[in-house]
Amino acid sequence: MLKKAKLSHLRYLAIIPLLLLLNGCAKHSIWWIFNPKGVGAHASFIYMMIDVAVMLAIVGVTAILIVWFMWKYQKGKNRGTYDGKWEHSRKLEVAFWGIPIVAVAFLSWAVAIHGSFAVNPYNPTIITKHMKPKGDPIQVDVIATDWQWLFIYPQFHNMAVANELVVPAHTPVFFKLTSTAVTTDFFVPQLLGMIDVMPGMRTKDALESNNLGTYQGIAADYCGAGTSWMLFKTKVVSMADFKQWAHGVENSPNTMDYAQFNRFAEPYINVKDKTPVYGHVEHGLFNHLLLEVMDGKKWPLPMFMTENMFHYLKLQAAEHRA
Amino acid sequence: MLVNVPGPWSPLLGRLALSEIPYTNPILAPLFVVIVLAGIALVAAITYYGKWGYLWKEWFTTVDHKKLGVMYIILGLVMLFRGFIDGLMMRTQQMLAVGPGDNGMKAMGAIHGYLTPFHFGQIYSAHGLIMILLAATPLLVGIMNIIVPLQIGARDMAYPYLNALGLWITAAAVFLIMISLFIGDFSHNGWFGYAPIFELAYSPGVGVDYWIWTLELVALGTTLGSINFLATVVKMRAPGMTWSRLPIFTWSAVSANIIALTSFPCLQVALALVGADRYLGTHFFTAGFGGNLMLYTNLFWLWGHPEVYFVILPAFGMISEIIPAFSEKPIFGYTAMVLATFAIAGVSWIVWLHHFFTMGMGPYVSTEFSIATMLVGIPTGVKVFNWAATMYKGRLTFSAAMLWAIGALFLLLIGGLTGMMLSIPAVNYMVHNSVFVVAHFHMMLLCIVYAVFGAVIFWFPKVFGFKLHEAWGKIMFWLFSAGTFLVFFPMFMLGFMGETRRLDWPFDPHWAVWFDVQEIGIVVYVLSVLAFLWMIYVSIRDRAHHRVGADAWGTSRSLEWLADSPVPFYNYAMVPHINARDEAAWRREHGLSESRPDHFAAIHMPNNTGVAVYIGALTFVIGFGLTWRIWWLTVAALVLTVLIMIYRSGKGDPGYVISAEEMEKLDRQSRQNMSDGQQHLPKGGGYTGGTVTAYSAAASDQRPQDTPPGNSRPLS
Amino acid sequence: MSSSHDKPVDPNQVVLWSDDYEGHDVISTRTFGFWMYILSDGMLFATLFAAYGVLSYSHSYYTGPTPAQFVAPWYTFIQTMALFLSVLAYGFSMASLKTGSKAGVINGIIASMVLGIVFVGLDIHDVLRMISIGVTPEVSGGLSAFYALTQVHAAHIFVGLIWMLVMLYQILRKGFTEDVVGRLISLRMFWQFQAVMWVFIYVFVYLWGYMS
Ligand code: HEO
Ligand code: HEM
Ligand SMILES: [Cu+2]
Repeated sequence: MLKKAKLSHLRYLAIIPLLLLLNGCAKHSIWWIFNPKGVGAHASFIYMMIDVAVMLAIVGVTAILIVWFMWKYQKGKNRGTYDGKWEHSRKLEVAFWGIPIVAVAFLSWAVAIHGSFAVNPYNPTIITKHMKPKGDPIQVDVIATDWQWLFIYPQFHNMAVANELVVPAHTPVFFKLTSTAVTTDFFVPQLLGMIDVMPGMRTKDALESNNLGTYQGIAADYCGAGTSWMLFKTKVVSMADFKQWAHGVENSPNTMDYAQFNRFAEPYINVKDKTPVYGHVEHGLFNHLLLEVMDGKKWPLPMFMTENMFHYLKLQAAEHRA
Repeated sequence: MLVNVPGPWSPLLGRLALSEIPYTNPILAPLFVVIVLAGIALVAAITYYGKWGYLWKEWFTTVDHKKLGVMYIILGLVMLFRGFIDGLMMRTQQMLAVGPGDNGMKAMGAIHGYLTPFHFGQIYSAHGLIMILLAATPLLVGIMNIIVPLQIGARDMAYPYLNALGLWITAAAVFLIMISLFIGDFSHNGWFGYAPIFELAYSPGVGVDYWIWTLELVALGTTLGSINFLATVVKMRAPGMTWSRLPIFTWSAVSANIIALTSFPCLQVALALVGADRYLGTHFFTAGFGGNLMLYTNLFWLWGHPEVYFVILPAFGMISEIIPAFSEKPIFGYTAMVLATFAIAGVSWIVWLHHFFTMGMGPYVSTEFSIATMLVGIPTGVKVFNWAATMYKGRLTFSAAMLWAIGALFLLLIGGLTGMMLSIPAVNYMVHNSVFVVAHFHMMLLCIVYAVFGAVIFWFPKVFGFKLHEAWGKIMFWLFSAGTFLVFFPMFMLGFMGETRRLDWPFDPHWAVWFDVQEIGIVVYVLSVLAFLWMIYVSIRDRAHHRVGADAWGTSRSLEWLADSPVPFYNYAMVPHINARDEAAWRREHGLSESRPDHFAAIHMPNNTGVAVYIGALTFVIGFGLTWRIWWLTVAALVLTVLIMIYRSGKGDPGYVISAEEMEKLDRQSRQNMSDGQQHLPKGGGYTGGTVTAYSAAASDQRPQDTPPGNSRPLS
Repeated sequence: MSSSHDKPVDPNQVVLWSDDYEGHDVISTRTFGFWMYILSDGMLFATLFAAYGVLSYSHSYYTGPTPAQFVAPWYTFIQTMALFLSVLAYGFSMASLKTGSKAGVINGIIASMVLGIVFVGLDIHDVLRMISIGVTPEVSGGLSAFYALTQVHAAHIFVGLIWMLVMLYQILRKGFTEDVVGRLISLRMFWQFQAVMWVFIYVFVYLWGYMS
């Protein structure tokens, strides 16, 4: 859609707020949204800056005008002339409708349309367009439970790791996601935007990053008492490191068959940040679970993990301290 | 058919059992005691002063739109306070809980902070629901209730009894959600409750049921109210009140109530289907068995988005009344204002999908809804520009009401800017479900709260005959604004740091300092609450000094300012004949302000009735019975409700007639009442050219203190 | 635009208070309000239709039966006729109202009620039949939506019947007072509206369901 040249062209628009906001912020890695490290997150950031620049221009001027009127036309100060009859002006009214119409038209074209395709989770042109030279994409199947993540790597002996995601840099990673419990949201603020993870349904997302590092992954939608602990570190490592890591995981004696998954999917708050690895996961588990959930399979919450959690939390706290 | 619930159930008490009362909870138990004691004290005081009869006769059974409005507003303010306490608890939890490590108060059973995750979930869910539907909505409905009939020159709403019914059903909803504090739990799934987490398998308690029936009750009450408003404006306008003379506030009430009337049924259906899933074992929103959980999300926001414009439009209307009055000019671009209002209402129907861009519906659909969402910015922009143009070449008085209105404008600008960010899918993916969204909608919703405070101050003298204390109103404004800034500016920042919403344990220690700033903001908010209470106290204490006449501010414009202050129960002794768009201003400018009817006619008024209270109480029982699955109680209350309705319909209300002579007497009395404050009466502001006679510039500058606030005083 | 500031106004000429304004027309106000209610009821049905539309794909019926397997369009056609005739009868009753004939109104309403009862009776019988062959709302999302739409409509008809009963009593007790006439007019709107909704249900749920 958007030609590369145009994008960089638009980028200039963003410079003013960019400078303002980034100056102090970028150095501290905590400004995750302003400090994108993934291709998708970066594109989103640029679009945000364009949007903010346009809007701030209008909103800012409006705010300044209001303050100025407040100063100038204050009663008893005689700074401005009073005209109690002035209530209509064709020219102004045209401008009042015209300015936002033009602005919205521009934003629709420049950010809404272009942006939606560029970071479309199912086919982010910002990634897919440049894919060929970079070799095969990596596929990761994501299964959310109450309240853990399972990441399966079908191309690597169907190995899996829970509550931690490791991906190679400079390589597109394609996700297929589903949940066996309730709806939540898959989100790594610095790398890629959110996508819903829903039971009985399959969504997709894609990620590419050129920056090595460890980034925080979050379950971004409320999915019960364990939401806050449903975190996963996302490690972007070099291809060599990734291969080596994968090799280690593949050789893990732990395997996950359907029975093991049933135990894994029991509601559990991961306060200890455990990241078990599984050298092999039963083939077709993802699709099997998807269909099973559609057939009504549930791992329901026991009462003691909803209403009166005191007892459960005591257990958890003990585990936490241990 | 009726599904089995986990846990015990008995035919007599349903799921209710003593263990459902959280007397071991270290937060709720003391609170319960305090509330019970306060309740006993209140009851005792009322009994001691023998006010029960007065309350019942003058207030509870009333069908007078002004009194109903006042009760709506009191209800709304109480719930605003309750919601604020929730906000305070959430902020405190996050401040205490932030960062790794075991920093929980073990006595309270928490790993982090002082709340258990489930309890935290209940708090924000109740907060969101209460604030939008049981605080903002009643406040707005209350003000519309008082002002709309006055602005169109009617004696009451079209259906006074229905009006009372709306109030008492809303009150039933309030009772239901309040009782959930002490009996059982409230839902923990957020104010909008996503599928399938509210299904019985994932929320086995009664919390979700409380949530369903509370919402159903408000929805019912509000729908009844909206029918009433529309019929009132369409059918009850005084002679000469053509559509092109309708005050802007009334216009916004019309547009808002069209939204309410058409959108609330979606909510009612969506929730009824959730109820069916939970009670009857159907599969509307389950993941399995052919259910469709995205259907819920769509149906909810199909209501939820129009709902936010249902609450903002009356607020826009209030701003549109306050700014001209204190700019001493007519509103700029009346026609454009009305068009913009309806444009917002219209577009509000086609944008709901922007609440779940992340569901993955593909770029074409996303783009369409993104653009539709941004379209709202156009008419909203027109409104903002018109308000600014109204101030241009004006003569601005920064009274407390005006400050609140201008504050609302700034919140609208910030909220609008961030809303425009959220409406871009590419941006939305990064900040959806983050506290950035929370900050966005608090800007918008607080814009409403600001407008409401402005409106309360602005119209208070109309209803009660004296003004609120200006200086304390301003102090409260500045404190509240400081609180708003301190709480919500950090929230925007935290959104950019990736803090997602609804975290009872904010895991990243870098966020800590911002939480501390927010907590300071909460303290400032507390001060502003105190300032508010003090303002009310001082104003009532010194009310003799703040008495006003009909035109309380001396610069007000629309019809309601012709009615006596306080407005007598019949509103206008003779229905005014409308000659201009801003009738009060027009009469003032032509020296006709003092004119009063010289002859009178008999009028017909409706009787008070307790039926609305009974039905309200019964709807509460129905909600409670359904929540706890006490079937016999539910059915009994339902049957009784129908019987009462049939009985009332058979009895009818003949009303009563006030003869012409009596009207003359009443009018004289009312005038007498007002003339107490007559010496303080501001005389004429606004346009001073032409034939104006009642205004004298010289006199206005030497008026004693209690004249229009800050008439020539600097901005404080 | 608004007030004509510049034109001087003669205080003795201008009309400030309306002498002859005696409130509002009760019946027309009530009818308008009832129209508003009908509008919201229409939205209620529209939402249910939307839910039905979303939940009527083949996978929505899960492994359970689809409407093609259990609806009986001819049976339902009898229901349709009963409801239409009921509306017609109510129309006759309203025609007699114009002539002020109490007997005519009452007979019309009774006929309308009987036909309405036939409708509800047929509906209950149909539901019992479906339940007996295992077509219950718990089977699948599709059936849940089917039941929601059809039975919400039936509940409306039931309410209408009670309303008719009340009106019969009120006509006998009070005659054609303003209140009673107003309610009769509202009831007509209600009844006709339910018939219109039924047409949609019949076409989209029964006929279409049967054919697909
Ligand atoms: C009163 C309430 C209110 C109001 C008025 C608005 C107004 C707007 N809202 Fe907001 N919102 C409100 C309440 C909420 N919104 C939400 C969520 C929400 C989301 C989803 C966020 C997410 O969950 O990911 C989006 C995209 C928007 C967009 C907008 C837009 C574009 C407007 C516009 O109407 C703003 C228009 C105003 C503007 C633009 C400023 C003035 C215009 C000028 C100065 C002219 C120049 C303008 C242009 C060039 C366009 N809102 C939620 C979340 C609920 C939840 O998840 O719990 C709530 C409660
Ligand atoms: C007065 C001060 C207020 C404070 C301190 C406050 C604070 C908060 C906090 C801390 C949250 C939770 C944020 C999170 O999820 O992490 C929240 C949520 C919310 N607030 Fe407020 N709030 C205030 C006023 C209001 C008002 C006036 C309204 C509406 C009219 C409102 C509506 C909401 C809604 C709808 C939610 C979302 C609830 C949910 O997630 O389900 N708030 N508020
Ligand atoms: Cu919205």
